[in-house]
Amino acid sequence: MKRTLFSLILVLTIVLTACAQAGGTPAPSGGAAEIRFMAWGDPAELEVWKQIVADFEKENPNVKVNVEVSDWDSYWTKLKTLLAANTPPDIFAIDAPLYKDYQSRGVLLNLKPYLDANPGLLDGLYPVTLKAYETPEGYFGLPRDFQTIVVFYNKDMFNAAGIPYPQQGWTYDDLREIARKLTKDTNGDGKVDQYGFYADLWDMELIWGEGIWAHGGDVISADYTKTLIGTPEARKAWQLFHDMIFVDGSWPDANTAAQYGGDPFLAGVAAMTTIGHWAIPGYAEASFKWDVAPMPAGPAGQATSVNSAGFVVAKATKYPQESFNFIKFVLSEKGQTRLAELGFACPVLKSVAESPAFLEQEVKVNHQVFLDSLAFARMKPSFKGYEEWSSVIGDGMSVVWTGEAELDATLDEVVKQADEVLAKNR
Amino acid sequence: MEAGLKPLGREKFWLWAMLAPTLFGLFFSAFGSLLATLALSFTRWDLLTPPQWAGFANYIALFKDPKNLTSLLNTVRFTAMYVPGVVIVSLLVAVLMNRGLKGISFFRTAYYLPAVTSAVATALVWQMIYGKDTGILNYLLESLGLQPVCWLCTDMALYSVVIVNIWGAIGEGMIIFLAGLTTIPREYYEAAEMDGAKGLQKFFRITLPLITPSIFFQTLISTINAFQAYDYIYMLTRRGQGDSSVPVVVFSIYRNAWHFSNYGGASAQAIELTLIVAALMGLYLWLEKRFVVYE
Repeated sequence: MKRTLFSLILVLTIVLTACAQAGGTPAPSGGAAEIRFMAWGDPAELEVWKQIVADFEKENPNVKVNVEVSDWDSYWTKLKTLLAANTPPDIFAIDAPLYKDYQSRGVLLNLKPYLDANPGLLDGLYPVTLKAYETPEGYFGLPRDFQTIVVFYNKDMFNAAGIPYPQQGWTYDDLREIARKLTKDTNGDGKVDQYGFYADLWDMELIWGEGIWAHGGDVISADYTKTLIGTPEARKAWQLFHDMIFVDGSWPDANTAAQYGGDPFLAGVAAMTTIGHWAIPGYAEASFKWDVAPMPAGPAGQATSVNSAGFVVAKATKYPQESFNFIKFVLSEKGQTRLAELGFACPVLKSVAESPAFLEQEVKVNHQVFLDSLAFARMKPSFKGYEEWSSVIGDGMSVVWTGEAELDATLDEVVKQADEVLAKNR
Repeated sequence: MEAGLKPLGREKFWLWAMLAPTLFGLFFSAFGSLLATLALSFTRWDLLTPPQWAGFANYIALFKDPKNLTSLLNTVRFTAMYVPGVVIVSLLVAVLMNRGLKGISFFRTAYYLPAVTSAVATALVWQMIYGKDTGILNYLLESLGLQPVCWLCTDMALYSVVIVNIWGAIGEGMIIFLAGLTTIPREYYEAAEMDGAKGLQKFFRITLPLITPSIFFQTLISTINAFQAYDYIYMLTRRGQGDSSVPVVVFSIYRNAWHFSNYGGASAQAIELTLIVAALMGLYLWLEKRFVVYE
């Protein structure tokens, strides 16, 4: 945990002195190719990957795949170090918003020739999930699964208040109204202990991106040169969130939310939240009944965000064809069905997403909502410098959500800083 | 050092022979990486494409960046509270432990526990203590009829975090001071008692002067720890992805490098921090000459 000055310096030194050798391990005497595949995830995921690998190796006896799974934070550190030392894993997982960053630094393999040799391979995938990986030169990566953001609601709280569950066609006004009704002081000590709504406001993915789109605004210009979160339309969305927190008190502020482990919904304190399919395994352990509903509509219609986890192949790989074959296998019916069993993401292969493997999985909620949301989903942006840009906004706005700074002036300042980051990364 | 302890001739050879592996490692890993960091701080480098020469651009950007100043101030304020806190509290605890009372070993263990428990686990417990509406501390305040305090909000977070860090460091400080206290000969105290010295007089006239080497050592170690403090601070003040309401320098170095791919800027920050620590160490060594009593 202790990331000292020295560990940083040490890693840099290792990187500097690492002997440059190409990725992958040389073929053992049997003539089999050994591929290294790295991803983030938890132990449960590693088990599923091992099964997928076993299936793949059965069909490709002369390829061996070694899977390594680490937690999110150390995954990126490890990956960057390996890339810098020129010994990257042959295949590695990528988060779509960060994809362009890696692609623009020239460490990924262009999959175009392999895709050209497999016409029709991408036909069965949801087109909107492919968008993030498109570049003028072709695809340097492919999605593995996708996440749309939906509303999760606590059925018990709705039942107790006699309020009907959220339905397709509801609006942000309805959301505000219901949230107000569900905000209560249940034990009469003069303090609110049940809130109507909570969503994390740091990243655009969970609520503020959706809110801005539904109010007719946008977060960033199409050419990634201008931050648009300060336009009049966008400000309508910000104002709504701000008022729900500080006027209605139906949405706990950041300091209050932190007391509930950052997830008041899971703690049984907030009646609704917005999050992706990845939250389901954790929420399945909750002590209350819950289900999901589509995002509300704003003045400019309904909107949600779609993001995907994907795969890329390192440019330095010795086994481009074998690596591509593995990706192809994961995108096949067999691979996608296995991944669906994990229960934390939606398959990008349409036929599997619409099959019982996904729709009738262990946790019985309305999984169809995640698929239907694709109809009005917008891609989470992906460009060079995304992480710094999103941090400047997330950090900058956080003082508003703790109640320490005024909304409009902070927005002006944050937009200026975010545009500086965009200019720097052009 | 007494004359009898000075290594001579053959002993000297063995002394260096034994120290060589460690010195060799230190020289190459620490010194080598320091030089590498210094070189990198004059480049623009994203780790994936070759570094580009940037001159003093990273340093100029640092001075212009208000966030750098904020994190630097946080680190300095943290250190200014943490170091005296750790030294004073652990010295007091050690003196109490040294009186040979019954059941003292239980307390000794209790005080040392934070040093051996996982920071993540203890941070979670502290979160329960500091909570705004659900915390134990505010519950106590309210039952006394006082206003609840938001302990981990921006204006209080630094103090709350300092308290946790001091609490976590008492155990190790206590061990250092106990070792120091046992070296003070009993005869001094007996002689003083004959002359009619009281408890406090004994402490200020005998214990304190003779324990200055331990105090000096503890101050040095605490300062270095303060500049590298990270785990409790992050656990208690994090918000969003990798952000903190009390960003300290180490934190911003890490983020700059691994999150924003700005290794040149992160190296410049690391050099900046190294210079500050080096300046402090220089000051300490000068103070040591003046105030530390070696028998």
